[in-house]
Formats: sequence, structure tokens, C-alpha cells
Amino acid sequence: MEILKCEGIQKLYGAGNSKVTALDKVDLSVEKGEFVAIVGASGSGKSTLLHILGSVDKPTEGKVIIEGTDISTLNQTEAAVFRRRKVGLVYQFYNLIPTLTIRKNILMPLLLDKKKPNQEYFEQIVGSLGIADRLESLPNQLSGGQQQRAAIARSLIYRPAILLADEPTGNLDQKNSREIIDMLKLSNRNLKQTILLITHDEKIALETDRIVTIEDGRIVSDEKRG
Amino acid sequence: MWKNYAKDYIKNNRTSGISIMAASFIAALFLSFLCCLFYNFWLDGIEGTKLEDGDWHGRITGEISGNDLAAVNHFANVEKAVVNEELSGEQGTVMDVYFSNKKTVYQDMRALVNILGLPEDAADYNYQLLSLYFVRIPGDDMPRLLMPAYLVIVVIMCFSLILVIHNSFAVSMNSRVHQFGIFSSIGATPGQIRACLIQEALVRAAVPIMAGILSGIVFSFGTVWGMNAFAKNLVGGRQMSYSCHPFLLLLVLILSILTVLVSAWLPARKLSRLTPLESIRGTDELQLKKRRMGFWVKKHSPILSTLFGMEGEIAGNAIKAQRKALRTTSLSLTLAFFGFMTMQCFWTLSGISTNHTYFEKYQDAWDVMVTVKDTPIEDFTLAKDIRELSGVDSSVVYQKAEAVCILPEEAQSQQLLAAGGLEAFSGEPQFSGEGAFQVKAPLVILDDESFGEFCEQIGIAFRLDGGIVLNRLWDSENSNFRYPKYIPYVKDDMETIVLHNAAAKGDRAFESMTEIPVLACTQEYPLLREEYEKSDFPLVEFLPLSLWKEIKRQIGGAEQDAYVRVLANDRTEPDAMNMLEDEIMQVVSREYEVESENRIQERIDNDKMIGGYELILGAFCVLLAIIGIAHVFSHTLGFLRQRKREFARLQSVGLTPAGIRKIFCIEALVIVGRPVLITSMLTIVAVALMIKASYLDPIEFIKVAPVLPILAFIITVFGFVAWAYYLGGKKILKVNLADALRDDTMM
Repeated sequence: MEILKCEGIQKLYGAGNSKVTALDKVDLSVEKGEFVAIVGASGSGKSTLLHILGSVDKPTEGKVIIEGTDISTLNQTEAAVFRRRKVGLVYQFYNLIPTLTIRKNILMPLLLDKKKPNQEYFEQIVGSLGIADRLESLPNQLSGGQQQRAAIARSLIYRPAILLADEPTGNLDQKNSREIIDMLKLSNRNLKQTILLITHDEKIALETDRIVTIEDGRIVSDEKRG
Repeated sequence: MWKNYAKDYIKNNRTSGISIMAASFIAALFLSFLCCLFYNFWLDGIEGTKLEDGDWHGRITGEISGNDLAAVNHFANVEKAVVNEELSGEQGTVMDVYFSNKKTVYQDMRALVNILGLPEDAADYNYQLLSLYFVRIPGDDMPRLLMPAYLVIVVIMCFSLILVIHNSFAVSMNSRVHQFGIFSSIGATPGQIRACLIQEALVRAAVPIMAGILSGIVFSFGTVWGMNAFAKNLVGGRQMSYSCHPFLLLLVLILSILTVLVSAWLPARKLSRLTPLESIRGTDELQLKKRRMGFWVKKHSPILSTLFGMEGEIAGNAIKAQRKALRTTSLSLTLAFFGFMTMQCFWTLSGISTNHTYFEKYQDAWDVMVTVKDTPIEDFTLAKDIRELSGVDSSVVYQKAEAVCILPEEAQSQQLLAAGGLEAFSGEPQFSGEGAFQVKAPLVILDDESFGEFCEQIGIAFRLDGGIVLNRLWDSENSNFRYPKYIPYVKDDMETIVLHNAAAKGDRAFESMTEIPVLACTQEYPLLREEYEKSDFPLVEFLPLSLWKEIKRQIGGAEQDAYVRVLANDRTEPDAMNMLEDEIMQVVSREYEVESENRIQERIDNDKMIGGYELILGAFCVLLAIIGIAHVFSHTLGFLRQRKREFARLQSVGLTPAGIRKIFCIEALVIVGRPVLITSMLTIVAVALMIKASYLDPIEFIKVAPVLPILAFIITVFGFVAWAYYLGGKKILKVNLADALRDDTMM
């Protein structure tokens, strides 16, 4: 079942002589439960693509359809609600709210929707991510790896249609990186979570089901792995 | 978001909202102060009007019987109706009517005169009082601008405060733009972010608003108290009562909350509109607008760069990038400096002018002046008693009258004729028959003894059957009023002059004509507190009382009051002068209704009055400066996040802490220096215009120019701005360079 579909996405920055094409007619389709790695050199357009898929940025041209909704036509408020319910975002620098406890950080998408968390699911996530004992801590009291786990927990709490991870291991040591990738794989396998992972690390990309390579804003290869 | 985020944030970051709290306090303080003050001014206006014009609302004049009075008293909206015995007389009975609902006074009064069978013009209204109750009566063509002015000032104040304090909210909110970016990325809508920020602002502002309102009440009470203390020493100064209505407090509360709400809403709206990408990436670093680099413009901030090198350029660019945020600072400091400088210069010029036109001119003319109310000079019998008082050196009793003189054309002096004649000065002089002008002839009637002294002064024989002509005309073509030059008005050999009643026309004027001998034409005048050089070029005559008694029936036109001018033996001691004034009053007030003033006390009162004005205007300038300084404080203390990276990068390429300090010093200097430069130039232009308009000699002003107070004001403001930068700079210097360079989202 197709969960994400991009048609002719183009993203231009600037105007006139300084115009830069970040994405150039990108078409992409992702099935539910797929774990896709998007790889490419720095400046190839992979982060731009992720931002557009996460509805934090809009394409200059083209359509992005997630679970039947064309997110390129949403206004600011609709896009925010869509992000809250359908997209989980994980950044390289965690982006946790420094003044909130880890528990509140994780529950925030639900709290924004004034929904009560499913306690069982919450415990399952924090348990499997190994942060159950750090829920009352503030982000700066946790290591980088723990903070990233909390960020992953937050991205999963709403059972999003798609989880987008932008270099989630880029700021971590090898051991923590390994653990984070394992956890993403686990959630993909156990929760049937669709994941798009951006990385420039080939080894990490090889852990996924499919590798999409971007160069100069274009998809140059799309390789499914056994 | 409020429950899960903002509440905890406020609890754990109490100090982060200090600028918001300070801004809210200032807003509430100003609004409360102004509203309470205006409210009391309004009440005082009502009180003053009641004292001056009476407290009646409508007045009916005509044939009114006792039954009529009862009928009016039974009219639905009439609170009471009473006969005004004082004003009732030949023209009929005057009835003062008081209404319960003042809004329908006009309609009710029309109905009442109809009921009484009187014409519509029998109804009169206390326009001034009713206008103070916001009731405008048709036909009241006076511009009642007091209340609209109060309203406009309060509205302007609200807008100014929003302009001033919204930046404090913006600084506080922008320091967390990254956090709101994260919220946005995980699904917080713009509306949720906006609501959260506004709720947070209102919670933080709640206590300061209450404190500000209370402080405003205290300040307004203090101001009224100060004004009363000041008025106590002035002649006719009325004490003002102070009150504070609960509805007024409610209004102030609503205004303060609205002001804070709008101030918070402006930046909250802007922040909530940022995309998550913009927020997370942090676009709040100082950005300079792209600039065309051409032949003339080689680089940014060329002047500062030349003066202070690289640090100058960095500081200049930073100020340019912060231009929008610092707009309020620039505006309030510019207004404060301009207000203070022009005020100081204005009072200096005014002081010089007053000295010229009043104190210096009349210093020797009088020490104690007594106004004898409603008394013709011939009825005043105490001239001798005053002269005989031990502290009196000399005294003159005089009265003024208005007459018209018939001046034959050939009587004009040679100099006047050479200057173009009377036509050249007074435009279109009135002709009286063939070859003669009608000229205003102010008469100054002196008691006989004083007239004798005047005769002695100008060296003529003492006679009581003629007058002395003040033979001078202000040469307005060749001199200004400040430094006047005179030419003789008439020929010196004039023997008689024809006077007639100023109010009489035609045959009656002819009948009132009287020819009196001219004893002398002189350019001298007796020492009186009078000014003769008027713009309508009158021919002034001094007459002895004896002659006046003979001609007053024909000439008439005498003023109601007589005056006694006294010169004291001891002219420098305020106590001696006060004592003499009391002595004179004791002698005169037994028989006449009198008012008195003494020169030294008048000088003290004048100085006090100027001091009072200066205090009020100075306080206003200081308040403007405080707004500017408060703004700089909130800005500099809030820019840690914004400029942390900028300075970390600069330090990473070798900028020393001393260099950072230098940059901050330059910024502080520019923030204060630019308004000083602009206002100095404006003040110079304003002073030049004032000097030109007042015909003063610029050198006279330069000698006493208020350089010291202006410098003190500028240095004080600069000191505060520098202090704000010192505190902000200290924070920047404490930042860990590695952290700041790596990432600023982890703090």
C-alpha cells in the first residue's frame, strides 16, 4: 500500500542569477512499512526533500501526497496539525524542549492535541528505547544518545504515518549510533513504522530496505534490497 | 500548551520575563498616572467653573411668578429651581435651574420656556459646565477642546506605549524562537503558539500591571499635592482636591491590559508565522540588508570604520541590523533630548526676554502696586497717608482713561513727516474733518502732588490747568519692539490739544470736545508700571487730577480702578518689602477694596512659576529618556542568544574581550550620539527661529546658554545606556566559546 507519493517536486531558492535548484523534478513513492534510506553528498538536496516530506517546507512545484493528503496545498495551521498526527521528525541535534521533562517532551504531540496518551504504548516505547528511568529528567541531564532516543520516542508517540529522520546519528558516537539504528529497525519491524532516513553514511544505509540516492537535486538511483 | 509548557516555563524561568514585567509596569504606571491626573483635572475644571460661573445648568430670565417657579420645580427632570436674587432686576426674574439628567438639558429647557410662555431666548445655558459633563448645547460655538485633548493624549499614550513595550515582549519571545520552531515541527499550530505567548505575557504582566496602577495613583496624588503646594504661594491659587473613582480604576485596568495584550500580540503573531524551518535554523541572528557597493559606497558604516577601525565597522553594522528593534530607543531619546534642549533654551530666552520687557524695564518704576477697586481717583483720599509711611520713598496715585485727540496734520513733528507721516506708521489713520487725524489718546491722571513732581522732573513750571504730552512715537520702521527707537510725535511748540470722548460718535463726539492747554511736549514720563509703546501709535497725555475733575464729564472713558505706585526706601530686602506692603494694605484696605503686589514677591512668584513649568516639562523629558533607556536595557539584556554566535565567531577569529567591550562602547555611543547630533542641529534651528521671532541679540543668549544642564542630561543618559551595555556585554563574555560555536540550541 502506497503511503507516500511525490510527483515532480521542484524546489528553487533565490531568483535571477542567484537561483539555485535544490530539488529538480523528484518523483518518489514509498510503501507502508518500508524503511528507506536517502543518501547523497552534502548539498545534494536530501534534507530539502525531507523538510518538504515533513511539511516544514513547501515545494516550488509538484505534489506530495501522504496517506491521500496533498500536503503541498495545506496552509500553516493545517500543515502543523498534519505534522502533529502524521509525521514524526527526528533531527541530528535532537531538538528537545530544554525546559520540559523528557516525559513531557515525548508526550507533546498528544498534549498539543489535548489527547490522553495510551499508557501501555507509551511504556512500550520508552521501555524499548531504554529511557524509562529518565522520564523526569531535563534534556540537558541526558547524554546525546539518550536525548536522541527521547526524540525518537516523541516522533513515534502519535503512531505517525511516516517517520522522517535527518542524520539521526550524525552527532553520536559509534556505539550510540548503532543503538539508534537498531531501535529504528525495531520500530520498523515491530510497529510496521514507515521510515525515511537521511544519511550520508553508507554503512547505515545498508541497514535499510531501500536506498535512494540523490545528486544535485535529482534521484539518480533507487535500489531495493533483499 | 499553556498547561504543559508555558506554566512550567514561567515557574522555572522567573527572571527571563523581567523586561516584560518592567514594560507592563511602565505601561500601567503611565496610563494610571495620566488617567488619574486627567480625571482630577476634569473634576477641578467642574469645580472651577462652578465657582466662577455658578453651578446652575440652565437659566430662565423673564416675568416669572411664584406659580411658575413651583411648576418648574415639579418638572420631571428638574432637580431644583431657584430664583437668583442677585441677577434678578429690571430685565425680569432670573431663575437658575438644576437638572437630574444633564443630557436632556437643552430639550427640557425649551419645554420649560414654552410652559412658562416665554420666548426661546429667555433660556440660557451654563455652556462651560455642561460641556464638562459631555453635554454639548446647540449654539455653543466655543471650541470645548479640553476633554477631547485628554482623550487624544491617552490614546496617543497607549499607542506610544505599545510601540515602546512591544519590543520587550519581542525580545523575550524571540529568545525562544528555536523552541517554538520545535513545537511547530511536532505539530503546534500558529494559533496555539500565539495563544501560549499571549497567555504567558498576560500572566507575567498581571502583578506589574496592578503595581503600576497603584504607583500611578500615588504619583498622580503626589503631582496634585505638589501643584497645591505650589499654588498655595500664588495669588488666586486654588487648592485642588484629589479623588479616584472605582470606574476610573477599572478603565485604567482595561486600558493597561489592552495595551499589554496588543504589545504581546504583535511579536507573537510574527513569531507564530515563522515556518518551523526558519525557527529551528534560527534566522534571528543580526542580518544586514544587501547594499549596492558602488564607487561612492565602498563599505558599510564608513564613518565608524574610519574612526574606530574594524570594531567601528562591526558596531555600525550591528546597529544598522538592529535598526528596527532600536527604533523606539532612537525615537524616545531623540524626543527626550529635543524636548530637554529646546525647553532649556526656551526658558533661557524667555528669562532674557522677561528681564528686558518686565523686570529691567520696570525695576525702578515700582516696588509695591496697589489696585484700588472700583474707585475713581478723585474719590481716593489716602494718598497723603501712604506718602507719610516710614518705608515709602515716593508714591503716585493714578488712573487711566481712554480719549481721542484731534491732531492737525501740521502738528506732526518734522521727523514724523520726514518718515512719511502718521499714515506711514498706522496704515489708515482716521481723518477728522479737513486736515486733522483722530488719534487714540490714553490719559494718565496723576494726583496733583505727583503731577507737580513730574513737572519738576521735566523742568517746567508747576501748573494744574494743562496736560503734558508724551511726545514720542515708536519708529517701527527702523527698530523693533525689543530695542525701540523713538521720534517726536508732534511739534514741541504745541499749545493746546483737543480731546473728545472715545466712545462718542458724530454730534456727541463734537459736543464732548474739550481743548486743554499743553504745558509741555516731552519724551520723558513719570515712573509708573505702564507701557506706552503700543502698536496702534497712541498719543499719551498726563493730566493733573484738578484738570481731570473739570473735564471728566465730557471726556469720560475712565477705567474702573485707580492705582497707587509706591517706591520703597529699602528696595532689595524681600522681608522689608513684604512689611511695607502689609503696612500699605493696612492703611488702604480699611476704606477701599484693594489688591496689592510687590516687585520682589512677584519676581519670586515668577521664578517659582517658571520652576514649576520646568519641573513638569523636565519630568516629561526624563520620562521619555527613561523609556529609551528602559528599552535599551530590555534590548541589550535580551540579545544574549541573538548575538552570542556573532561574537563567538568574532572571538574565534581573534577578537579579544577588549575588542568586544570596544564594540559595545561604540554602539552605546552611537545610540546616544545620533539623537544628540540630530537634536542639537534641530535645537540650533529652533533657537535661531526663537531668537529671530523675539528680536533678541544672539550674543546675549550665547552668554547664558544652558550648556551645563544639557550636558548633564546627555551624560546621564549615556551613562545609563553604557551601563545597560556593560550588563549585556558581561553576559556575552561569559558564554562558552566552544558551545556557542557548536550549537546554540542546547542551552
